[in-house]
Order: sequence, then C-alpha cells, then structure tokens
Amino acid sequence: MNKAITNIFKKPVTEEVTFKDEEFEALGIRLKKDIDTIFGRSLAIRELDSGSDNAAEIELNNLGTPHYDVERFGVTFVASPRHADVIVITGAVTRNMAGAVKKTYDATPSPKYVMAVGDDACDGGIYKGTYAVLGGADMILPVDIKIPGNPPEPKELMKGLLALMRSIRNRR
Amino acid sequence: MELIDDIAYTTRGRIVESDAKIGCNNDVYITLAERDLETVMHLLSASAYELASLFCVEGFDAHAAYTLLYAFEKKPYKEIAVFRLPLRWESAPSITSSFPSASWYEREATDGYGIRFTNPFDERRLFLHESYPEGFHPLQKGFKNSELDTMENGEPTGAGEYQFRKVAGEGVYEIPVGPVHAGIIEPGHFRFSVIGETIYHLEIRMFYKHRGIEKLAEGKTPEECVRIAESISGDEKVSNAVAYCNAIEKLCCIRPPERAWRLRTVFLEMERIYSLLGDLAGMCVDVAFPVGASPFFILREEILRQNKALTGSRFMKDVIGISGLKKDVPEDALKQLPTFLDKCIETFEESVEYVRSTPSVIDRFEKTGVIRKELLAALHITGPMARSNGLSTDTRIYHPYGLYEKIKPNVKTVDEGDVLARFETKASDILDSCRMIKKALDDLPSGPVSTDYAIRDGYATSLVECARGQSFHWIWVKNGVVDRYKIRTASFCNWQAIEHAVIGNIVPDFPLINKSFNLSYSGTDL
Repeated sequence: MNKAITNIFKKPVTEEVTFKDEEFEALGIRLKKDIDTIFGRSLAIRELDSGSDNAAEIELNNLGTPHYDVERFGVTFVASPRHADVIVITGAVTRNMAGAVKKTYDATPSPKYVMAVGDDACDGGIYKGTYAVLGGADMILPVDIKIPGNPPEPKELMKGLLALMRSIRNRR
Repeated sequence: MELIDDIAYTTRGRIVESDAKIGCNNDVYITLAERDLETVMHLLSASAYELASLFCVEGFDAHAAYTLLYAFEKKPYKEIAVFRLPLRWESAPSITSSFPSASWYEREATDGYGIRFTNPFDERRLFLHESYPEGFHPLQKGFKNSELDTMENGEPTGAGEYQFRKVAGEGVYEIPVGPVHAGIIEPGHFRFSVIGETIYHLEIRMFYKHRGIEKLAEGKTPEECVRIAESISGDEKVSNAVAYCNAIEKLCCIRPPERAWRLRTVFLEMERIYSLLGDLAGMCVDVAFPVGASPFFILREEILRQNKALTGSRFMKDVIGISGLKKDVPEDALKQLPTFLDKCIETFEESVEYVRSTPSVIDRFEKTGVIRKELLAALHITGPMARSNGLSTDTRIYHPYGLYEKIKPNVKTVDEGDVLARFETKASDILDSCRMIKKALDDLPSGPVSTDYAIRDGYATSLVECARGQSFHWIWVKNGVVDRYKIRTASFCNWQAIEHAVIGNIVPDFPLINKSFNLSYSGTDL
C-alpha cells in the first residue's frame, strides 16, 4: 500500500527529452483529439509500399522513433491489413505490385480510408505513362487524401493525418 | 603487370594486347568471339576475376543488333575489364557454370531484350512478373516507353504463374511470406521450405517494385538523368547520383572543382552514416531490444536534420549535379558539423558498448546467418557483408573516385561472417565515416562548386561504394542523350547471399538476418 502511494508521487524513471519540438507536439495533441472523437482512442495504419524509392518508408518509420513517437497520440502501425483503419500507400503502383495492392485493400475491413504519401503515389510522379507502372494510387484504389512531397517530412505526414481526420469528420 | 597483360596471361594467349581497346578511365574493352566465350570465362573465374555486371546493349556494334557486355574486376587493378560479345542471333551461351552470379543478369537480359541463353541455370522470368504479356521486351529500342493496355477486371493479365522451386520430402513444409510484409518495409516475396523450425531452403522473389528506371533514362538528357539516378533507392540518393555524374564526367572529361569533390565526400559519408545507423537500430529492434535501438534512431534523426541544414533535403536530393554540385552549402551549417559529429561519436560509442554488453542480444547475434566464404567471390558479395566475412574489400580503396584518391577509408575486417560481425563492421564503418568527413572538411577550399562543360558522346563505367557495398553504373551517351543506362546496385548481388545465409537457421531468426543485411528492394528492382 505504502509502495503504491509512493509510486504515484515518485518522479517518472524516464529521462527528460531534450529535443521537444513544440510545433510537432501541438500537431500531435490535435491529432489525438480527433482520433479520440472519430476512432475512439486509436488509429491503426497499414503501410503499403506499391513501388516507392524507400525514402517514404524511412520517414514513416521515423514517426515511431523517439523524436516523434506517435504512439503517444494514438497512432499505431499494424502488421496486418485486417487490423487497419487506414492504408498509407507509397510510390507509384507498379504492374508487379498491382495484384498485391488490391488484395491488401480488399483484406482491410470497412470503413477504411486510403492516404497516398509522396509525389509518386499521388500521380505516378516521374514514372507516369511508362510501361512499368499503372500510375498513382488512385488508378487502383479510392484515395481519400494525397500528401505530396518527395518524401514528405514527419510534420507533413502529421498534417496529412489531420487533414484526413477533417475530411472523415466532414463526411459523417 | 597491367590489367591487359594479366588477361593475356590468364587466357593463355587467347586474348592479346592488340585485341584491347582502352576506354574512359583506362577501362579495357575486348571483343570476344562466341566460340571463345566459355573457355575465356572459365579461365577468368579460375583466376579470381569477379563478375561486376553483365548486360545487353542494342546497336553497340555495327554488325550486330545486340551486344552483351561482361564487366569484370580483379584486385588490385583499378580498371574494369569489359568483354563485349556481339550477338549474331538473339542467343548466347550461358556462363553460369563459371560465374553463378550471372544467372540473374542473364534472366534480366532475356526479359529486357529477348536474348536466349543456351544451357541456362534458370529460365524463369526475372523482373517481368505474370502481369506482362509474353514476347514483351521493354528494353528493345523498338518499344517506345508507354503504358501497356492489358488489364482485365482491374488486374493486369499476362504470362503463366511463376513456379517456385519445390523442396519435397517427409516433414518439409512451405512458408510463403510477402510481398506485403508486417513492418514498414518494402515488398518482396520469401518462400521458405522448412523442416520443423529449421530453414532448409529459401527462394527470394524480387522485382515487385520494378519501375522501369533503365528504360526511363533512354532518350533523356544527361542532366535529366540525375533525377532518375536519385530515384534508384531513397537512402542511396547521393551514392547513385555521384556514380552517375562521375560516369558522365569521365566520358566528357569534366573535372569538378576540389570544393565540390570535398563536399560530395561529406554527403556520401553522411549518407553512409544515417543508412548504417538505421541498420544497427533495426537489428536491435528485431531481437526485441528497443532500448538499445533508440539511441541509434535518435542519432539517425539528428543526422537527417543535419542533412537538411546542409542541403535543404533530409535525404540530400537535388544537390549532386554534373560537374560538381547544384548549389553550395550554407557556411554556418558547415562550420558546426565537426562539433556535431564529435558529440555523435561520443553517444554512438556508448550506445554500441551498451548493446555489446547485453548477453541476450549477443546470444541472438552470434553464429546467426553466416555466409560461407566460398560464396563471396562467386556471388560478388561486397560492402559490409564481405568485410564482416574476412574479405578486405572496398570500392573506395580498389577503385578510388574523387577525394578517395587522397583520403583512404580505414575499413575494419571481421572474420566470422555472422550477424554480430555485420553489426561490428557497420559500427566501425560509421566511426570511420565521421573521421573522413572531418578530414574532408579540413582546409576546405572556397570557390565555385561546379564548372562549365560540354556533353560529348561516349560510354563509361563508374563504381561507388554505397552503404551496402559496390554499385556499378554504365552509361552510353549517343547524340547528346542517354542511350543506355545500366545500373547494378550492391543489393542486386547481395540479395542472393541471403538465400544461402539463412540455411540451417530457425525461421524466427530470418527477420534479424535480413535486417543485418538491410538491402534495398527498390535498388534491386529498378
């Protein structure tokens, strides 16, 4: 009992972070509020690479690292499309990935949303009109929101998620 | 002894000095007759020549529609030996019995140009998956790059289903994984044949991300192609852009100013650092040790921010240009870089020591995913994968470019060839890169970062050491535009080592082994 009470008042064991970015924190808090009201506490994202150059993957991965740590705001990247609310798709859709992209979308339970991340996913980028790609993600999936950039930085990804929340709210 | 003398000696006089034509950068080009191919290849492989690349070019020889180019390196020669085989018909003998790594290249030439190989090791398609129609060969000049219209019900239609190699026997079962994986990573398919928990056989199917980069470069101006080189792999933007520009500079006799080469070296090494930091972090994550991974992730993010301060881009895109750099670096960002690196080194060494002193981590790293030494030359394994296996190899040392003529890397060689050895090699590469950046910044001259130049026609090879090993670029400029751009990244060769490294390991160790290589899918699939 005594221990429980002292634990409540003890300082946290974690160290104070030295790299707090006020703008990012503010974005995160706004996003958390939106997620709480729309999705009920957590937003599950399935990342889907349909032909990117892997820089967008690095930035998405970065969202989970100590500088950003978006799980604090209720955002989780899940291992299966069956657990996802949102599919984040990166890169132009290659012919070789088209089948897998469709299967991943079909495996995601409704309601589901698609966010295209990066210039290539938005409209095919430099690969537009070539033999190896079908084009941007919207050639094959109903895209709800497009985040341009090559690749978009973590803050831009957060703003993209916020915009997605806004568009979902407006639709309801 | 010169390279050509060595070739004459190795081939027992089948090739003599007068057969050779000296190309850019003193590379040796030798035309082969088809009847000599198999013997010459056999002799080369017996004499420590390594196949750096094999590719097809159209319209290279006056009397032949297609020419196959076989590029070899041999230590300690700086130059590359390129054997050219003009094809009378659209077929050639396979050289896979002398050079096993030729298999992927030959399948690539079959897909791209429709070249048939006699006695091939493997005849399945490589980068053209089922969705491409039969008889389609995108790299032929007759095909103008445009969308293909072969879709049915939203699904592309094409050739028959790809057949994985089958392993049969009592208790053998298959685990198919991918192309979409559980983490935030690129797509590829792994087909495991497993007995109990032990991996008996693995087949990796790549090229899901085939974006047609080589075709895309066709007909573009040399300037436009820098952007294409940067799109090969997101975390190798600088390496590939430098390799590309270096080739153009060689064939046009352009000499970038000293300041440009020094800054290029800074960017190349910064790229190596952030890329390898991600690898180390990933290895820790994959043994469920996020506490050990976090410091590496923090450092990587700080490096990415430095990149942005230096170049305006976290991945340093749009800064490398033909004849130097597209823009100079802000003075204040440059000034604080050495102090920043010193601080990084301190944190980094502490963090590595923490991982090293954690027995549960070492237990997972040690003796896991060993590459057998006899595979290194046969598959042309390079970079940290080779250096963690007792092979002291580095393109910056054996084929120096730019500043590496003056500043030599101190690469560390570890002998064990397991995950732990790769962890140690990569950790030491990071520290060495910090040292080299500081050296490159010492008495950095002021002045312009690019020069005037004129584009000339010609062809040239260019090799770079990116974080993952050696990348090979070959460019042919004709009538002022790029006619053929062949790219072979380090990942292309190193992927084939993973199929071997996992044998005898348990399935749960596969993610760790894969992460300890951390190869680029996009750089392989092109």
